[in-house]
Amino acid sequence: MDRLRFYLNDRLVEESGLSPTTTVLRYLRDRAHLTGTKEGCAEGDCGACTVAVLEEDGKGAPVLRAINSCLLLLPMVQGKRVYTVEALKEGGRYHLVQEALARELGSQCGYCTPGVTMALLEACHREDFNEPWKLDAQMCGNLCRCTGYRPIRDAAARVAGLRPADRFARALAETKPEPMELAYTAGPQRFFTPATLEALWDVLDAHPEARFVVGGTDLSLEVTKRFAEPPLLVSLEALRVLRTLEPRAGGHRVGATVTLTELEDYSRATCPPLERMARYFGARQIKNRATVGGNLCTASPIGDLAPVLISLGAEAVVLSRAGERRMALEDFFVDYRRTALRRGELLAFVDVPAQPAGARAIAYKVSKRRELDISSVSAGFRVVVDEQGRVREARLAYGGMSARPARASRAEAALVGQPWTEASVEAVLPLLDEDFTPRTDHRGSDWYRAQVAKNLLRGFFLETLSEPAPRLQERHAATVQVR
Amino acid sequence: MSSKIIGRPMDRVDGKLKVTGKAQYAAEYNPPGMAYAVIVQSTVPRGTVLRMQTSEAERAPGVLAVLTPRNTPKLPGADKFSAVPVLPRLTAMQDSEVLYNGQPIALVVADTFERATYAASRVRTTYVEKAASLKLEAGLERSEPALGNFGMPPPGHTRGDAAAALAAAPVRVEASYRTPTEHHNPMEPHASIAVWDDPEHLTLYDSNQGVFFMRQFLSLLFGLPPDNVRVISRYVGGGFGCKALPWPHQIMSIMAAKVVGRPVKLVLTRQQMFSLVGYRPQTLQKVELGASAQGKLTAIRHTGYSETSELDAFTEPFVNVSNMLYACPNVATSQRVVRLSASTPTFMRAPGEAPGTFAFESAMDELAHALKRDPLELRRLNHADKDPEHGKPWSSKSLLECYRWCAERFGWQRRSLQPRSMRDGDALIGWGMATATFPAFRMQASALARVMADGTAVVQCGAADLGTGAYTVFTQLAAETLGMSPEKVRMEMGDTVLPPGGLAGGSSTTATASPAIRSASNEVRRKLVQLAVADKESPLHGLAEKDIVVEDGRLSSSQDTARGETFAQLLTRQKLTHVEGKGDAAPDPAEQKFSSHAFGSHFVEVRVDEALGTVRVSRIVTAMGAGRILNPKTARSQIQGGVIFGLGMALTEETLRDPRLGRVMTADFAEYHVPVHADVPDIDVHFVEEHDPHVNPLGIKGIGEIGTTGIAAAVANAVFHATGKRVRELPITLDKLL
Ligand SMILES: Cc1cc2nc3c(=O)[nH]c(=O)nc-3n(C[C@H](O)[C@H](O)[C@H](O)COP(=O)(O)OP(=O)(O)OC[C@H]3O[C@@H](n4cnc5c(N)ncnc54)[C@H](O)[C@@H]3O)c2cc1C
Ligand code: FES
Ligand code: FES
Repeated sequence: MDRLRFYLNDRLVEESGLSPTTTVLRYLRDRAHLTGTKEGCAEGDCGACTVAVLEEDGKGAPVLRAINSCLLLLPMVQGKRVYTVEALKEGGRYHLVQEALARELGSQCGYCTPGVTMALLEACHREDFNEPWKLDAQMCGNLCRCTGYRPIRDAAARVAGLRPADRFARALAETKPEPMELAYTAGPQRFFTPATLEALWDVLDAHPEARFVVGGTDLSLEVTKRFAEPPLLVSLEALRVLRTLEPRAGGHRVGATVTLTELEDYSRATCPPLERMARYFGARQIKNRATVGGNLCTASPIGDLAPVLISLGAEAVVLSRAGERRMALEDFFVDYRRTALRRGELLAFVDVPAQPAGARAIAYKVSKRRELDISSVSAGFRVVVDEQGRVREARLAYGGMSARPARASRAEAALVGQPWTEASVEAVLPLLDEDFTPRTDHRGSDWYRAQVAKNLLRGFFLETLSEPAPRLQERHAATVQVR
Repeated sequence: MSSKIIGRPMDRVDGKLKVTGKAQYAAEYNPPGMAYAVIVQSTVPRGTVLRMQTSEAERAPGVLAVLTPRNTPKLPGADKFSAVPVLPRLTAMQDSEVLYNGQPIALVVADTFERATYAASRVRTTYVEKAASLKLEAGLERSEPALGNFGMPPPGHTRGDAAAALAAAPVRVEASYRTPTEHHNPMEPHASIAVWDDPEHLTLYDSNQGVFFMRQFLSLLFGLPPDNVRVISRYVGGGFGCKALPWPHQIMSIMAAKVVGRPVKLVLTRQQMFSLVGYRPQTLQKVELGASAQGKLTAIRHTGYSETSELDAFTEPFVNVSNMLYACPNVATSQRVVRLSASTPTFMRAPGEAPGTFAFESAMDELAHALKRDPLELRRLNHADKDPEHGKPWSSKSLLECYRWCAERFGWQRRSLQPRSMRDGDALIGWGMATATFPAFRMQASALARVMADGTAVVQCGAADLGTGAYTVFTQLAAETLGMSPEKVRMEMGDTVLPPGGLAGGSSTTATASPAIRSASNEVRRKLVQLAVADKESPLHGLAEKDIVVEDGRLSSSQDTARGETFAQLLTRQKLTHVEGKGDAAPDPAEQKFSSHAFGSHFVEVRVDEALGTVRVSRIVTAMGAGRILNPKTARSQIQGGVIFGLGMALTEETLRDPRLGRVMTADFAEYHVPVHADVPDIDVHFVEEHDPHVNPLGIKGIGEIGTTGIAAAVANAVFHATGKRVRELPITLDKLL
C-alpha cells in the first residue's frame, strides 16, 4: 500500500501527500475538523488528546486501546480503526461513559474531558477490570487541573469493565484486521512498514539512513518537540515475530515490539519484578504504545526496563540479514544513549533466563510523583542465596546513577560469599559510592541519589528476608512512589 | 426566596456538551482563510537584539510574514497603558530590549501551523547581552516597597506595637519560609484567533477570564472605539488567574492579522505557557509570633519579598492574611518586591492567601509546638470575633463550626501531641490542620433575560465560566426567578455582544452577576404578570398582580391554580416574540459596614516513608463557611479542585529557572508536576450553612479560591507531626525529608 488508509469513526479515510510525521492529533483537529480531541501538551504527558484505537493485540485478537494521538503518527494507524469522542453518542443516545461523567460532575472546564472520556471507554471495554488499583493505573495518564479527580474516579468506578453492546463491541466482534504494510512517500519524507523480515532487510540495504520506530512514544517527541523531519522511518510494528512473548527454557522470550501493557499483563503471574516496573511505567496511554525494544534502544540512563532486566540476567538478541548476535543486556548499553547495535541490526528479543533456585529479585522505581513520572533512581536486584544462607551471586543494577544503566560491580563482588544478613548489606553500602558518582539535576541531587540507592538495597534486604521470591504486595493505597 | 432549584445539586448544564466534545474553545473556530502564527522567543535573559536573520524563514514554504522589532507596527495606544488599570507590562516587539529569557522577539505567520513552526525555527538572532538579575536572594538589597495591584492598597498593616510586644512576649516563634514560582497550567493552552472584519472592526476569539476587560484593553491599545471590538470567549479550559489579564499573544495575533490581511490563529505551546504568560511569584517570608504562656497571641510580625519582572511591580500580597486571621493587638506586616530578569508574574488561585497561609499557618503550628498545645486549641483560643484589622464586625463567620465539624469527622481528639508518635506499619503517620480564608468581593454587572414566545428563555451576561459552574448556577438562579424549569432556560456568557459582566477574578463571578441576573429575571416575571392581568382574553384577567403565582412556565391564580395559562399561550396571543427584562447590579456602600470573608479549615493525614522520603496524603477533611451555596454539587467540586490545587503546591509544583540563563527548566508536564489521579486521597468536603444578610443581596461569598488556601500549611504541619521535621520550603519533596 502506498497511501495512508485507516478508519476514522468507522469511515474509511485514504490520504496521500501528507507528511508521514503528521500526528493523528493534528490531522483530527486541523484537517478533519474533529476538535473534540484536545491538545494539552503535544508530548504524551496530559492525555487530553486520547483517542481509542481498535487494533490487534500480540496474539492477533482485536482490542480497543486508549492512545495519545499527539504521539501517534498517521502511518501508525494504517489499517486500524480510530475513534474520537465524537463517535460515542449513537442515535441521539449518550454513551454510558458520557452519562457517568456528566452525572458525577467529572467535567468542570471540560478541556480534559474528551480525553478522560476516551480513557474511560477503554476501561469500559476491558475484560480484566477486577482490582481497584487498575482504576488508578487506567486513569493516571489524564491530567485534570479542575476537578481534583474524585468525580472522575467515581465515574470510572461506575463504568469500568461493563462492556456494553455498543458500536465498539460490534466493531470488536465484527471487523477484520487490515494489513499495516506501507511504503509511503510524501515530498522528501518516507515511511515504510514492512510485513516480513526479508522486506525489512531490503529496505535497510537500500536506505542505510533509515531509523526504526515502533510505539513512537520516544521518537515522536523529536517531531513534536524538536521539529525534526526524519527523512526515512521504518516501523517494525507489522513484524509478528518481534511480538513474541512466551515462556522459553524456564525463562521468557520477550519480543522487542511487545508493548508495556502486554508485558505487564504477561509478567503478573510469571515474573513479579518485571511486572512491578511495568506497572509504574508511564501511563496507560503510553504503555499501550511503548515497547520493550523502544525502551532499551533509547539507552536512556533512566529507562525503566534496563535495571530490572539486567538484574534478572537477561540477554539481548540482535538480528540482521547476516543472522543473530547475543550479548548480556548490560553490554548492550555502551554509553550515554548509545547501544551496541551496528548498522543494519535491530534488537529482536530479550531472553530472560530461568531464575536459579534461591533467587530473590525485586525492582524499584523512585520518582517525585506517584504515577506518570520519570525515575529519579530505579533499581533491579537479584541475589541467589545458597542453602547455607550465603550469597552465591548478586546482580545489583541501577538506573539514574550513571550515564547508562549499570551494575554496582564492587558492591556485588563484596556481597558474594557473605551471609545474606543485614550486617552484610550494611557493610557493602559504602561501596555504592565507589561504583557510582551520580549527578545533580532537578529530579534529585547527587547526595539524594546516593542516599536512595543505599536505602533501596536496605529495603530489598528487608523485603526479601523471609521469602525467596516475594509476590508483589498490593500497596497501592499505601505510602510510597516506590515499589 | 423559596428555593426549589437554587441550592439543589443540579447536574451541570454544560456537562453533556463537554463529554461529547462539542463545547467550542477559542482555538476551535475556523474563519475562512485562517493563517497560523508562531512566536519566536529570546534565548538570553537580558540584552538587546542586535541582528535578526529572517531571510530563510521568509523564504520557507507557506510563509506570509515574519514580524520582528524592526517591522512590527507601532501600537497606537501603547503609551496610554497607564490610563487603564493594567500595568505596563507587555512586550509585543515594540522595541529591541530583551528583559527576560523567553520574551517574544519575532512572529512567523504561515498558511499552516507546521509551516509556521518550521519557519520560526529558522530565525537566527544575535544579541548584545547585558547582565541579568536572576536570583531573588541576590536582589534583596535593591528591593522596593510593594505597591498594591490594580489600585488596591499596598499589602501591609500596623496596629499596636509589634516590636515591643515581641520583645516582651513570654513565648516567641520566628521562622522563615519560602514558596517557589508556580505556573497555573490550565489544561487548555492560551489561544487567540484575530479577525479584522474590516480595517476598523476587530473580532477576537480568545481564551480569557473576562471579555469586557479584554475589550477595554484592546480598544485602547489599538486605538479603536470599544464598540468596534468584539471579544468571544464562550468556553474556557481553565484559567486560575493566568487568563485574567492580557498577554503578548493576544496583541501579536491581532497585529499579524492586520499585516497579512487574513484571520490569524495563535496558540501557545505548553512550553511557552511557562514564559509568555504570568505565574505565581516565588516568595521569601519571615513570620514572628509572640504569645502569652497560655497561648494568646500578643504580637505578629510578617514581612518578606516576592519576585517580579523589570516591567512591572506585581506583588503577591501574602502578608494580608496575618492582619485579619486571628485576634492580636500588635501587628506589623509589610512587603517588598525584587525585580528580576523574568517575565511578569500575575494572580494565581488565591494570590497572596495561598503562600501567605502557608507561612503564617505553619508558624502557628510551630507556636503550638513551642507551647506544647494542641494546634486546633491554639487557633480556637485566638479566634477573631470581629475583623481585627478594620475593627468592623464580620458580615458572617462560621470558622468555629468548621473546626468543630472537621475535628469530629477527622477524629482529631485521638491525635497524640508528640511528633513521630503515630505509626502504621512502616509508615509514619502525621495529622495536621490549618485555617483557610478568602475575602468576598463583588463587582459591577448587567444582565438581560428574555422569555420567548415558544416558552423558553434566554438569559445573557458577559461574565466568564472557566469551568467553575457559572453557566449552571446562573441557569438555576434565572429559572427559579422566572418560574421556569431549568431545561427551558439557556444561559449565554463570554461575549462582548452580551450585557457587561465582570472579570472572573477574586472568586467574584457568582456574587457579581447573580444580583443582575435576578433583577433582570424579576423584571420579566413582573411584566408577564402585568400582561396577563391586563389582557381581556387571559383567564387571569382582572386579578391582582399579587394573586398570581408563576411556576413551571405558567401563570396561575393563587386561589385556583387550574385557572391560568402558560407563558407561551400569553405571548402567542399577544403576538409578542418575547418579553424582556434588564438588570444591573453593583456593590452597595452599605455592605462596607461589614468585613466579609469566607473561612474554613483543612485537616490532613499524611503517611511518610522515611527510608525514601516519600509523602502520601491519605485523607483530607475540609469544612467551609462560604455564604449561600447555590449548588452543592458544583460547589463541592470547586472546593475539591481547589484543595488538590493546593496539594500540588504543597508537594510537587515548582518552576525552576536556569541559574545562568534564566530559562525555565521545568517547562512541561514531565518536569512541572501537577497532581495526578493517584495522588488524590479521600476528600471530605462540608459546607456549614451560612445565612449572610450583609455581604450582598443573595448572601454569596465565592468559593473558587478558598480551597487552595491553608492546604499547604496543613500538609506541612502533618509532615512535621509525622516526622518531627519542619519543612519551611515548598514543595515538600523527597530530598527534604531524608
Ligand atoms: C509521557 C511519557 C511517559 C514515559 N514514561 C516512561 C517511564 O515511566 N519509564 C521509561 O522508561 N520510559 C518512559 N517513557 C519513554 C518511552 O515511552 C519508552 O522509552 C518506550 O518504551 C519507548 O518505546 P517506543 O516503542 O515508543 O519507542 P520509539 O519511540 O518507537 O523508539 C525509540 C527509539 O528506539 C529505536 N528502536 C525502537 N525499537 C527498536 C528495535 N527493535 N531495534 C532497534 N532500535 C529500535 C528507535 O529507532 C528510536 O530511536 C515515557 C514517554 C512518555 C512520552
Ligand atoms: S496532548 Fe497531552 S498527551 Fe497528547
Ligand atoms: S475539567 Fe478542567 S482540566 Fe479537567
